[in-house]
Amino acid sequence: MVNYGVGNIQAFAHIYQRLNIPVVVATTAGQMARAEKIVLPGVGAFDWAMARLNASGLRDMLDELVLRQRVPVLGVCVGMQMMAHRSEEGELPGLGWIDAEVVHFDPAQISHAPLPHMGWNDVRPTASDSLFLGIEAPRYYFLHSYCIAPRQQADVLATAYYGSDFTAAVRIGNVFGTQFHPEKSHQWGIDLLRNFADI
Amino acid sequence: MLRPRIIPCLLIHKGGLFKTVQFGAPKYVGDPLNAVRIFNEKEVDELMVLDIDASRLGRAPNETLVAQLAAECRMPLCYGGGVKTVEQFERLIALGVEKVAVSSAAVDEPELITRAAERVGSQSVVVVIDVKTTGLLHQAEVMTVNATKRSGLEPVAFARKMQDLGAGEIVLNSVDRDGQLQGYDLNLVERVRQAVSVPLTALGGAGSLDDIRGLVQRYPIIGAAAGSLFVFKGIYRAVLINYPGRTERDALARPVETRAVSS
Amino acid sequence: MTSRPYQICTKLVMDTSDPSITFDADGVCNHYTDFHRNVKLRWQTGPEGRRQLETAVAAIKQAGKGRDFDCIMGLSGGADSSYMLHMMVTEFGLRPLVFHVDGGWNSEIAVNNINNLIDKLRLDLYTEVINWEEMRNFQLAMFKSGVPHIDIPQDHAFIAVMYKFAHQYGIKHILNGGNISTECVQTPLQVLYWGTDMAQIRDILSRYGTVPMRTYPFSSIFYHKLYLRYLRGVKVLKPLNFMPYIKRDAMELMQREYGWKPYPQKHFESRFTRFFEGYWLPTRFGFDMRRVQFSSLILTGQMTHEEALAKLEPLPYDPELIQLDFDYIATKLGISTDELRDYHEMPSKFYWDYRNQRRIFELGEWVLSRIAGTRRGGAF
Repeated sequence: MVNYGVGNIQAFAHIYQRLNIPVVVATTAGQMARAEKIVLPGVGAFDWAMARLNASGLRDMLDELVLRQRVPVLGVCVGMQMMAHRSEEGELPGLGWIDAEVVHFDPAQISHAPLPHMGWNDVRPTASDSLFLGIEAPRYYFLHSYCIAPRQQADVLATAYYGSDFTAAVRIGNVFGTQFHPEKSHQWGIDLLRNFADI
Repeated sequence: MLRPRIIPCLLIHKGGLFKTVQFGAPKYVGDPLNAVRIFNEKEVDELMVLDIDASRLGRAPNETLVAQLAAECRMPLCYGGGVKTVEQFERLIALGVEKVAVSSAAVDEPELITRAAERVGSQSVVVVIDVKTTGLLHQAEVMTVNATKRSGLEPVAFARKMQDLGAGEIVLNSVDRDGQLQGYDLNLVERVRQAVSVPLTALGGAGSLDDIRGLVQRYPIIGAAAGSLFVFKGIYRAVLINYPGRTERDALARPVETRAVSS
Repeated sequence: MTSRPYQICTKLVMDTSDPSITFDADGVCNHYTDFHRNVKLRWQTGPEGRRQLETAVAAIKQAGKGRDFDCIMGLSGGADSSYMLHMMVTEFGLRPLVFHVDGGWNSEIAVNNINNLIDKLRLDLYTEVINWEEMRNFQLAMFKSGVPHIDIPQDHAFIAVMYKFAHQYGIKHILNGGNISTECVQTPLQVLYWGTDMAQIRDILSRYGTVPMRTYPFSSIFYHKLYLRYLRGVKVLKPLNFMPYIKRDAMELMQREYGWKPYPQKHFESRFTRFFEGYWLPTRFGFDMRRVQFSSLILTGQMTHEEALAKLEPLPYDPELIQLDFDYIATKLGISTDELRDYHEMPSKFYWDYRNQRRIFELGEWVLSRIAGTRRGGAF
């Protein structure tokens, strides 16, 4: 668990503890060094989260683990958005682990629907292995106004619909991301997090 | 498609759960931790917990309790009561709360909304507007400090102002309808809905699942919050937590899109 | 707890963890012989039992004419009392005041089951919510006292509230889900001491309690067993003893009719009771309540000796999950896990280590068994 001061770390930690999966909440690079899987949580505004991550002293270790050692990483919500090149929401550059941009919901498509996109929505996986293995009729809790838009269609792991289809989850090799909050999506979320641990 | 959110709303008073009628006559409902745990097992959409003493007594949020409640929630938790500073926002989010609600502070210090939104993001800033009909002309007015103080503000304009300042969700709480189990104030909901584009949640008055159905069929994307409905049972107001199951919940909302989708 | 050599009954699964157990020359325990000698003959579940039940029901209906309710019963969400409610309402047409006591430990299954039952039977429910601060105080005091019977705060409240409602609404008939079929074997007094011994309760609270007990419903056995029962004519009926009560069949019916969600073990409708019976009693006092329950089922032909032995193989708690329960109990009681562990490790105490009115209770039990044929526990 990357603890850079943003995101509901406890929720993830509790879930993994109850699944009897050892979890380390890492605040230093040293604590992260032997990670077999990494969860990068996130909530709030892009620049705010990115700035905190930059200041955490964990970026180098993260790049090393994710890009060179290919440790599977799961970014959640803004955690996933940070993995893109950049976001319309902010000025700072992202991690660049995913070939994607983060854009606002298209006002033309959204019309009168409220923003942020808040609540439980159905998710349609494009692949039934990996994160969504064995999960029937998945639905998850979303809370966001911006979406990730991968340049390669193959990187889209799941979609959801709000005014139009948008990317709900991504996967490129060892890099995974969900726009929704599995740590706050009851059994569907617990199953997904378990699947991630099993990858 | 996005579903309407059906939200139990729990009130904390003197450390215990209580339920009020028109913001008065509190009835003891039990231990917050067990209630939250039961709601979690019932897989509720989200949960709202409001400390109704904090504003009145000038108290800060009870962090131990909040942490314990957050630990039990596998769904989003919104916590409110006594929040006055951005630091408190941050602290509560760090304790595991998804959204922080403010009511009196939004009236007393509207800039708090903007500063909080900058820090934790709009999506975590909820403004609860307590509305009561007051005065000779029976106008709707925004109330503060547990509906004891009149603000002189008109709810629709206030809601719009809150949205402009950065609130990510507006909770419309009808003081008159609180605990009456007679239905939501749909008139108020309509007027505010016309004025704001952030997510809206109605609270106060829901007496049966029909009331919720009525609300969510008229507004497919909305939050339907209730206190008494999910905590009391029957004419003797027996305290028994209840909440519609998944199938029942899905049946309450009507499908918005007509495309043939496989979900 | 005892220095006797280990011995287990050849017919039942009661063993020397019951400190008062005795065995005959064939290794058969007193619970077995007591059942066959004293209980079985009086136990009428056929036409005679039906007749007795109908007579009792007629009296209840008569007494309840013109009133809102003709009887009262407590719903814990437990399987027995729920089945009884179903029978007495649907088959006998009684109109019970149904109440539930919320001690702060309801499991979601219990709440769900009660809900379904009330909805389908179209009954109105009363609840009494015990003030959590006082309940916690009482429970913590019991932990600190070191005695086995730490479940008393919940049980006592239930009994007290029942008699309070009965008195308040002038109801003369109490329906009780206690039954021979699954409860004929008595739990040793040393383990489950009388929950209504106020001398014991007051002593423990005065030593270890820290919060004034202002609203907690106290009752004394004198009040409810003697005053209300014998002076005001309040009667207790245990309907399940007058009909064939086969647990398995009953549960199937409940699932079909009410979507009843079964509990993994008896009394698991309360998180606390689950912890108490499943973990605390066995690990701290070496007493496994399953032995009592299974032995009852053996005696009433619902389980074989072999089945019972097999079911006793696994621990009564899940070692993977027990830490979570431990943490939850500690958190809820407002203490650290370490402190709870200390109470778990401290030297055992028993009811005799504190003030008690055991003599009076036993005398009362003896007297009542002579004049009313009743006994402590589920049978009569």
